[in-house]
Amino acid sequence: MENKRYISVYFDDEVPLLQAVRKLIEKKETILDVMTPFPVHGLDKTLSMKRSRIPLVGFIFGALGAILGFGFQAWVFTVSYPLVIGGKPFFAVPSFIPVTFECTVLFAAIAMVTAMLIKSKLKPDKSFVAFDERISDDVFVILIDNENGKTTPENIKSTLAGIQTVEIK
Amino acid sequence: MIQSPIRIPLIKGRKTYRNVTFDILDPMMNRPGKFWYLGISLSSAALLFGAYMIFWTIWKGIGTWGENRTVGWSWDITNFVWWIGIGHAGTFISAILLLFRQKWRTSINRAAEAMTIFAVICAALFPIIHMGRSLLAFFIFPYPNTRGLWVNFNSPLVWDVFAISTYFTVSLIFWYVGLIPDIGTLRDRIKKGFKKTVYKILSFGWKGSARDWHRHEITTIMLAALATPLVLSVHSIVSMDFATSIIPGWHTTIFPPYFVAGAIFSGFAMVLTLMIITRKAMNLEDYITVSHVENMNKIIIATGSIVGLAYITEMFISWYSGVEYEHFALVNRATGPYWWAYWIMMTFNVISPQLLWIKKLRTNLLFTFILSVVINIGMWFERFVIIVTSLHRDFLPSSWTMYKPTIVEIGLFLGTLGFFFTAFFIFIRVFPVIAISEVKSVLKLAGDNKPKKEDNDGK
Amino acid sequence: MDEQFKFKKLYRNILLMIMTGGLLFSLAAIIIFKPGASRIWANVLLNNQYFLGIALGAAFFLAVHRIAWSGWHTVLQRLPESMTTYLPVAFILMLLMYFGMHHVYHWSSFEGYDAVLEGKKAWLNVPFFFIRLVFYFIGWIALTWLMKKNSSALMNKSDITFHNRRKIFAGLFLVFFAITVSTSSWDWIMSLDAHWYSTIFGWYVFIGMFVTSLSFIILLVWFLKRAGYLKYIRPDHVHDLSILLFSFSIFWTYLWFSQYLLIWYSHIPEETTYFIRRIENFKVIFFINPFLNFIIPFFALISLRSKRNLDWVAIVASILLIGHWIDYYQMIMPASAGGQSVIGLLEVSMTVFYTAIFIFVVFKSLSKGPLVVKNDPFLEESLNYES
Repeated sequence: MENKRYISVYFDDEVPLLQAVRKLIEKKETILDVMTPFPVHGLDKTLSMKRSRIPLVGFIFGALGAILGFGFQAWVFTVSYPLVIGGKPFFAVPSFIPVTFECTVLFAAIAMVTAMLIKSKLKPDKSFVAFDERISDDVFVILIDNENGKTTPENIKSTLAGIQTVEIK
Repeated sequence: MIQSPIRIPLIKGRKTYRNVTFDILDPMMNRPGKFWYLGISLSSAALLFGAYMIFWTIWKGIGTWGENRTVGWSWDITNFVWWIGIGHAGTFISAILLLFRQKWRTSINRAAEAMTIFAVICAALFPIIHMGRSLLAFFIFPYPNTRGLWVNFNSPLVWDVFAISTYFTVSLIFWYVGLIPDIGTLRDRIKKGFKKTVYKILSFGWKGSARDWHRHEITTIMLAALATPLVLSVHSIVSMDFATSIIPGWHTTIFPPYFVAGAIFSGFAMVLTLMIITRKAMNLEDYITVSHVENMNKIIIATGSIVGLAYITEMFISWYSGVEYEHFALVNRATGPYWWAYWIMMTFNVISPQLLWIKKLRTNLLFTFILSVVINIGMWFERFVIIVTSLHRDFLPSSWTMYKPTIVEIGLFLGTLGFFFTAFFIFIRVFPVIAISEVKSVLKLAGDNKPKKEDNDGK
Repeated sequence: MDEQFKFKKLYRNILLMIMTGGLLFSLAAIIIFKPGASRIWANVLLNNQYFLGIALGAAFFLAVHRIAWSGWHTVLQRLPESMTTYLPVAFILMLLMYFGMHHVYHWSSFEGYDAVLEGKKAWLNVPFFFIRLVFYFIGWIALTWLMKKNSSALMNKSDITFHNRRKIFAGLFLVFFAITVSTSSWDWIMSLDAHWYSTIFGWYVFIGMFVTSLSFIILLVWFLKRAGYLKYIRPDHVHDLSILLFSFSIFWTYLWFSQYLLIWYSHIPEETTYFIRRIENFKVIFFINPFLNFIIPFFALISLRSKRNLDWVAIVASILLIGHWIDYYQMIMPASAGGQSVIGLLEVSMTVFYTAIFIFVVFKSLSKGPLVVKNDPFLEESLNYES
């Protein structure tokens, strides 16, 4: 059996997938990636994934949007071209709130989605090749690192004895 | 996680994950049926007529409409508010039901979000063409110019510009981000050809990696958390177009939440209209079940009752206020020349949804379908009543006049209906109408093949 | 699962002491500082409204969750249920207003002719006022009692009919409540400013009630957990309570701001006098209101971790309880007691007195049965709830 860079383990259900991930982590195998047709509940905890900082990105850019939105309106109405509208003062705080709020939401949303796309390296790419086209349907795959030929498919098979897998290669 | 045994399964037919993929993708990948061709022909015809009316309006001017100096807004703004209201259901289903962890949303959110985008486009047409000099529409955006002028940030009309632009952008992003994994599924089912390349590009290289899913889930929840106050703010700001005035019937503090409730009310009615047909036409009855229809009907009772409550409140307070102009506005609505519009509004919006307290009616698809159309007609009349009856007789009797629409205005409205349905017909052929990965993620818990208890320690 | 809250002698005695202390200090404040009758009765009204709101908000919490087939709340439903047992007490306390209402409701004591008040006489007259009052309370008490009765029945016998009946009463309660929460807030709070009106007022008061109620539920959970009960309530449940607290605080702010913005913008004198009176004479209170009820919960509960930490959420809930008391203060005091208003010994001790009564009633009811509604069809789901 030639040494491949990674060993892939296939499942047809998420329950054995989670059991297998736990077993492999116990045996200190390095899991490169787990690919699933939908987000599996509990998988991120099992893989000890660091919680994404996307909400923080949203908060920061939202705050930026709020400051820019409010500040711009204030500048327009007090410095650039003050106009008396409806007898209201130039610095009309209640009037500025709706636009400020919209800018907050707009900046936060665009920033978070951009961050998600960048971090996950998602972009329009017509030369993309899926690892296995069945993953998006109903197949679950664990990719185990085998860069230095540390292990073999047989090893993995015995580690995962008792768990229902479809294929290991 | 465990589900109570008294809950009704949300996905019927003992489906596997593969079933989910193919049940949803098959109708798209096969040739469309006669009904689709008939439908899109009718809607395209309406769309073309509407396009011609747009041209006519811009070419000849607003004089081709029935509006006059007293009634400065009529069908144009009625349609605007009606369409924006319809759009709100999509965001409500995607965002608010997600935050309330309602699993039944997974079968309808994709289609509802698409509906939102098309509805907002229809809505946006009206502010632009009612300006008269539509080619100068870009004036509404604040950009540095040689006149040293900015837009009037004090005006609700400008708040509208920001609100609708933000709402459209965020809805589009939210819809598309959710769609990416499903486009991946679609991409992988098509073996080769031009279609595959297109979907490859549109799927942004989605590979199903756990880390990507994690980020995707968090982004979705965060977008939902943003979209919730957004949807409230957009229709509130639209209501402020009226409420910031001094006109009786327009200036009343209840407008923001009342308009939002009304928007969700009419939006869900439109979702029901579309989904009852779609589930039959695309054989998706196992996914969009009677239980889903019932849940949507419950939201309709709730929001319809809130609308009814708002009507009662307005009636009472207009008496209680002691202001004779407020009294008159109410009396004129109910007994003046537009009394017929008022009573259509009252019966269609207040009385008819109350019938849904009866379970037999709530779970009856034909009744629901008819009711959903009735509600949308009623809600159109509500906006018409608010706008036209308040304007046509306000403070100065010498300015009192009547209003009648022209064929151009009617044609514009029909055109937007044409656009909406054409876009929806195209959507169901091009993208999966149900959120495939989301349904799969709730399949075990909410489907009707319940897992045995031991399976649950796969946590 | 059968754990029962023991209303220990220690709690009883502490509460009775606080009650007596509150009452004595209130009397002392009246004797020493001689506040006007308006201020005294305005405080009675304020505390009546505040605690009534907590009880009604709890009933709403239960009704809306039950009719929506919500599962997660099932494990803690006895807490809001016991809060609704305060309603009869609130009824009696509101009836007391008969003796003081002419000091507070100027429309009831106005001599002479006022065109605006004349126009409203059909609604704002003392007999009809009390007929409505009785009507509201009978409906609220009856429907909450019927819901509670079915919960108790469910605990004794596992029969789905009790659960279904409870849902029907929940629906009836929601309809009755939706109408009466608006009309009662017009009667009891809005009519204080008898020349003023605002169609959003009822909804604004209602959401304030709901947030206050949620805050109290959270503090009750915190207290019971510290006393060793409710071990099965996990951060997942706390998370959902926090989400409700966070989002409805934002919703409250939206209603507060909508009312203010629309009245400010249109600048109609009949309406703006309401805010002018508050901003000129009660400036600090008026602006602290949104600070406590929006800025603090928004920033304190925005992060995921903070939402799951019961101690932190309990602190925010406490601040909100004070914040909404301030909200009622700025709604009630300017129009009733006007220039005499000050937050002094009388205000603090009366509120303390009422708080002790409220907690006493809640504890008493809570101790009358197991802390969990056995046989509830959603119980298993709730115990295993993950979020």
